[in-house]
Amino acid sequence: MPVTFSPTLPAIRRLTPAAMGLVALLAGLFITPVLIGDEFVYHVFITICLFAGLSTAWNIVGGYAGQLSLGHAIFYGIGGYAGVILMNMGISPWFGMFVGAAIAAVVAIVISYPCFRLHGPFFALATIAFLEVFRVLALHFRDLTGGAMGMMIQLKLGWEWMVFRERLPALIIAFGMMLVCLIVAQVIRSHRLGFYLVATRERESAARAAGVQTVKVRLTAVAVSAALAAMLGTFHAMYLTFIEPAAMFSLPFSIQIAMFALIGGIGTVYGPLLGAVLLVPLTEFARGMLGAEALGLHGFVYGVVLVMAVLFFPNGLMGALQRFPAPKASQDPKVVQAAPVAAAPRAAERPPIGQEVMRVENLQKHFGGLHVTNDVSFSLREGEILGLIGPNGAGKTTVFNMISGFLQADSGSVSVLDREGRFQAPTSPSDFAALGVGRTFQIVQPFAAMTVEENIMVGAFYRHHDVHDAREAARETAHRMGLGPWLDAEARGLTIGGLKRLEVARVMAMEPRILLLDEVMAGINQTDVRRAIDLMLSIRDTGVSIIAIEHVMQAVMSLSDRVIVLNSGEIIAEGKPQDVVRDPHVIEAYLGKDFVHAQH
Amino acid sequence: METFLQVVANGLMLGGLFAIISIGLTLIFGIIKVVNFAHGEFLMAGMFLTYLITTKLGLHPYASVVVVAPALFVLGALTQRLLIQPLLSARDDHVQIFATVGLSTAMINLALLLYGADIANTPTSGLRTPVDIGPVRVLEGQIYIFLCAALLVVGLELFLHRTQTGRAIRAVAQNRAAAQLMGINANWIYVLSFGIGAACVGLASSLIAPLYPTSSTIGTYFVLTAFVVVVLGGLGSIPGAFVGAMLIGLIDALAGFYIGSDLREAVVFGVFLIILILRPSGLFGTRVKLSHIS
Repeated sequence: MPVTFSPTLPAIRRLTPAAMGLVALLAGLFITPVLIGDEFVYHVFITICLFAGLSTAWNIVGGYAGQLSLGHAIFYGIGGYAGVILMNMGISPWFGMFVGAAIAAVVAIVISYPCFRLHGPFFALATIAFLEVFRVLALHFRDLTGGAMGMMIQLKLGWEWMVFRERLPALIIAFGMMLVCLIVAQVIRSHRLGFYLVATRERESAARAAGVQTVKVRLTAVAVSAALAAMLGTFHAMYLTFIEPAAMFSLPFSIQIAMFALIGGIGTVYGPLLGAVLLVPLTEFARGMLGAEALGLHGFVYGVVLVMAVLFFPNGLMGALQRFPAPKASQDPKVVQAAPVAAAPRAAERPPIGQEVMRVENLQKHFGGLHVTNDVSFSLREGEILGLIGPNGAGKTTVFNMISGFLQADSGSVSVLDREGRFQAPTSPSDFAALGVGRTFQIVQPFAAMTVEENIMVGAFYRHHDVHDAREAARETAHRMGLGPWLDAEARGLTIGGLKRLEVARVMAMEPRILLLDEVMAGINQTDVRRAIDLMLSIRDTGVSIIAIEHVMQAVMSLSDRVIVLNSGEIIAEGKPQDVVRDPHVIEAYLGKDFVHAQH
Repeated sequence: METFLQVVANGLMLGGLFAIISIGLTLIFGIIKVVNFAHGEFLMAGMFLTYLITTKLGLHPYASVVVVAPALFVLGALTQRLLIQPLLSARDDHVQIFATVGLSTAMINLALLLYGADIANTPTSGLRTPVDIGPVRVLEGQIYIFLCAALLVVGLELFLHRTQTGRAIRAVAQNRAAAQLMGINANWIYVLSFGIGAACVGLASSLIAPLYPTSSTIGTYFVLTAFVVVVLGGLGSIPGAFVGAMLIGLIDALAGFYIGSDLREAVVFGVFLIILILRPSGLFGTRVKLSHIS
């Protein structure tokens, strides 16, 4: 823990009000019960720490990754059972905790992997189903779990066994574990993994194009989250001294965990803490004061609060304040550009067109009965701009999808020159990204909830693993693309021209060797078209090879070294732009036979 | 052999029960594209209402349907209008999920507050009388449930396909924007559909109350199976839900008898997970556009 804190120590001198509030809140959580010294108050604060920890752990999956799990009690339960079973065999829960965490992480990976295809309510349903299965299994295997009768721990007191008569040590452990959860959550959120998780949540395909191994990052998140939940489960089992399947694998318990995160602010680092701090005392006091008379009262309050929260504060309390706390960004004074700068000045001399860097051979693709790509072959040379044009429905984007790994061809091959000068045959988007192929999408795919800077950082992380380096690279790219003034704006607020530039900026931050641009000029105004043309030329002059699908003929004519015309999935013409536009086949494809006849 | 036939008969009767609970759920999902996590609590509310009407007024449980179904219609319509409609444009799924999860939590605990943890037994009114059909024996009430479920499927299909309102509902379900351009008031259709879906649960609760004890958690018990049925039958498909319910009823009964009664839930949910992961569109689901698969 001290290790993690030390790099931020210099920053403490200039604490923001939010950070001071956080420190005060954490201190209050620990000091209040110690000062009051009441058993019940201790219990309430231990429960707060427990739920804050669980909810923070949940948030790594449910918030950052956007996978709404309603089965997190599975991991909590696994931790609890592992701790108790091992303790009754004479093994300390301090060790059992890690056994539970390891089992929970493996279980989480195994059950999440197939479920990642499911979104929204279906993922939630699947997690509920898994929870039910675990509960039923825990009831069934009596020899191991004690079945419906539950399990008592053997009463061995002391730090070694994590069981105490007095409350203070339990508070210390609960508080410490909550801190661990918060630190893990903060570290993940402010590093590459966190950016990748949020990017994957916002736009899975764009994240894959940016070289993110979406399955891997999500599985990492799930494993970490499950391990933390399991460790808290072990602690709680020791605290309760008795566990049973109905309590350990409980759906209402899972819902509560998720609920604190939602009310505090889903996807924010400290929202779950805030949610637990506000809601746990409410219900614990209701339970303590009214007792059995108010059976169901606290649940009713929870339900109503939850409904009110989604209706009026769908982004939670933290969300109302700020959506993504990015501490480093807010501290550094930003170089604000007064006006959007165009591309960097171009090199006087363009480098000569080099050797082949991409080879596309005999691509075939059918969608049902439709032959969308028929025997398409072409190659791309280093430093070349290749225009890909054709009428709507000609199959241009399908070709793009096949040469960036998003779609598998029925037959034919795509090979890309690697840095050692050998041709490789990549298959997945991450393979293509690894070889230096970057792409944009015709329909822009911004990570809507992230700022412009964070959007570009997702691309920059491909080259720079460190957050500071990635941020620097992203800023530089942003300024080059004329996005400097909007660095801190959320991507959803940009105009269509801005979003198109953001697409390009994100790819450029990956420093690709081959750039696939899908209609980056469609729908933008004349000034922006001129600027985009200059930009593409300057990118080309750095030695990047570009394939551009484009309808704006002004751009195609002035940019392309070579043009390929696609019609009904076939290449009907290839050559210099001036020659291609005079080709009768091309005119026919665009304007019909009648027009060709009328000309003669 | 006789035992096997009896188990199959039990399975089919159970299927009828699952079907009548699931029809409303699949209807609501198919049209509004919202998974109503509070569906089970609608059932619980209907069952408590049936219990009250039957015990306080001395009516036959089936007679209470004239009150319960309209009451549930209103509950459903209000849920749609006040809770779901403001959230339809929400960017994230989690908002809608939490809305109905919150409603469910509130309703379960409200029932706990009002009735405590005790079980309310609706008078059986002779519906638990065993009836012999050939070699098998089932309860009278189970036969009525089965028949009502079948009739409800046919009735709803006719309504959706043969009436102008039904066509409007299907149009909104397929493309909300296009339907609005054709002059259909989509919000009103949603309110109506949610109401109809909830009214189906109202009918179900009056039929089920005499056979099963009512408690605050009865909804959770049934709704998880209803989710299984709906996914199995293809989300939004009403005949699919009926067939899915029969399959799950049979699996439940057979697993309970041949594997062990305490593991039958594990088997049912295991089947659910396999279907959800391998064929998220369900066994018969081709009708609904799979907007949840990216």
